[in-house]
Amino acid sequence: MAELEVEKLRLRFGGLTVLDSVSFAVEKAELFALIGPNGAGKTSVLNCISGLYPGEGAIRFRGTSISGMSAHQVARLGIARTFQHGELFPHMTVAENLLTGRHARIRTNPLKEMFFTRTVWREEVAHREAVEKIIDFVELERYRNAPVANLPFGIQKIVGFARALAMEPAILLLDEPSAGLNRDEREDLARFILRIKHELGIAMIWIEHDMQMVADLSDRLHVLEYGRSVAEGSPDTVLKDPRVISAYLGTAAI
Amino acid sequence: MSNREPRASGYFRSSYDQGLRLVETRTQWTSLILFLAVLGIFPFVASSFQLDLANQVFLACIGSVALMLLTGYAGQVSLGHAGLIAAGAFTAGILFKEFGAKFWVTIPAAAVIGALIGLIFGLPSLRLRGLYLAVSTLALHFVVVYLGGEYETKRGFSTGIVIDVPRIGDFVLRDRKIWYFVLFAFAAAALLISLNLLRSRTGRAWAAIRSHETIAEALGIGVPAQKLLAFVISSSMTAVAGALFGYYRGFVSVEAFSLFLSIQYVAMIIIGGMGSILGAILGAVFVTLLPYAIEYAVGLLPNARSYAGMLAAFNYAAFGIVMILFLVFEPQGLVGVWRRVQNYFLLWPFKQKPLGGGRK
Repeated sequence: MAELEVEKLRLRFGGLTVLDSVSFAVEKAELFALIGPNGAGKTSVLNCISGLYPGEGAIRFRGTSISGMSAHQVARLGIARTFQHGELFPHMTVAENLLTGRHARIRTNPLKEMFFTRTVWREEVAHREAVEKIIDFVELERYRNAPVANLPFGIQKIVGFARALAMEPAILLLDEPSAGLNRDEREDLARFILRIKHELGIAMIWIEHDMQMVADLSDRLHVLEYGRSVAEGSPDTVLKDPRVISAYLGTAAI
Repeated sequence: MSNREPRASGYFRSSYDQGLRLVETRTQWTSLILFLAVLGIFPFVASSFQLDLANQVFLACIGSVALMLLTGYAGQVSLGHAGLIAAGAFTAGILFKEFGAKFWVTIPAAAVIGALIGLIFGLPSLRLRGLYLAVSTLALHFVVVYLGGEYETKRGFSTGIVIDVPRIGDFVLRDRKIWYFVLFAFAAAALLISLNLLRSRTGRAWAAIRSHETIAEALGIGVPAQKLLAFVISSSMTAVAGALFGYYRGFVSVEAFSLFLSIQYVAMIIIGGMGSILGAILGAVFVTLLPYAIEYAVGLLPNARSYAGMLAAFNYAAFGIVMILFLVFEPQGLVGVWRRVQNYFLLWPFKQKPLGGGRK
């Protein structure tokens, strides 16, 4: 059974059809790249999966339908995502941002929290430890207690990535994680993505504009243009597909 | 929010427990004990007037900490705070008049009523934001004050409800000195509850909602439930403050709960510094004492008598000017000033903090 199946996904805003009959399936520990020119609807696909947009069609997580669920229910099932601009909580430190990502996993209630009972204390320590493992994984040790508002953009993106990872997801939706990163940071990111795939076995849907990275890392890729699927397959075949080349570069006028 | 790096030099954490403690270093312990000692000695050296001021500050602290949770942390604007204080005071007053209820019944009752009102008036927050939400909370104020006024006239307490001096067993709460300790205990409890909530799951969820609602939702935080929770807890605390206020004054009447009171509470959290519990306390002290400070200052002027009639006008004007000055020159409020002074001494002889990621 596929980890995530999207079948005939369709999204309309008034008269504008953003997505039209998009279908794909992602397997466990698969790095599935979603590419396409600007405005093709890549982020809309992620928004539909994570319950932020109401798409028509079927979306199934391990066989059970998740379409129509609210965003926090989807997140609790184990579908985590990152955002294009990081979108961190600027008043919090890196560690607090990650702890916020573990919200659904922390087993306390507000009444116990008011008195900070032993359970709350134990949970906080346990989850702080879990967060430290993620911090270690993405090499953010140096920044753990720094308020994120002051951090450079590249680091903020990694923190956003780490926050999604802190949710211990089954599927990770990555929305242009490499945008705005310099070469070094991209190499780090590539390393983290591969480690997630090989060590944690998390399936990833990865929106990316850096074709070199996509060609090097992804297992399969899916190309969108104007909300429609253009091609799907391994990087070698898809990136040579004339339809894909024309979507990106346009066809010759002659 | 206590996961920050400790400030004291030579102190290093060696377990995650230490990061969770409210008081970590020896210096912090010493300052806390000194502070408590000063608070403990104060009622025995202060005049009756000064004691009254301190008691008012404690009451204001509960209210402003509660509003800070809602507005400063969870990001939900409320202009209905005076209405909640009124609801608490009327709950105590009505239960006392109608059923002769005791102190230890009316205070929890006020908390429950406050929580219910919070739940109902929190519902608009699921749809409305910012200014629109603020206007919907205004309705709360008018509804409560209207109901209170109706009760007063219908039951023939048109000048207000007189509440007897409360007693807990043989213990009579008459003396201002005794009230000082009772109110201090309530304020300290409100403070502790708030700090505990803020350093755990709920506090982080609120802060997340304040920054980015959609992102919070996508992280698995049930945004509607958390918003309502913020309203319920904040309203409940405020209503308790209202009930205490009623007992302390021995008198409940709608005139005490004007819209200006709501604005004063909003002023407390703005002047104190949004998103800081210390700010809520500093703001409560400042806004409560400001009119008395002005009165004192006017009294020092030559011909003080001739200005006496204009004192109220002076107060309003000064209040407005202080608000504007804070918004323009110190948007971070008194807490911003406090942090700047603290940093000055901590960093000396340097001026700038190292950028993010650097060690202090």
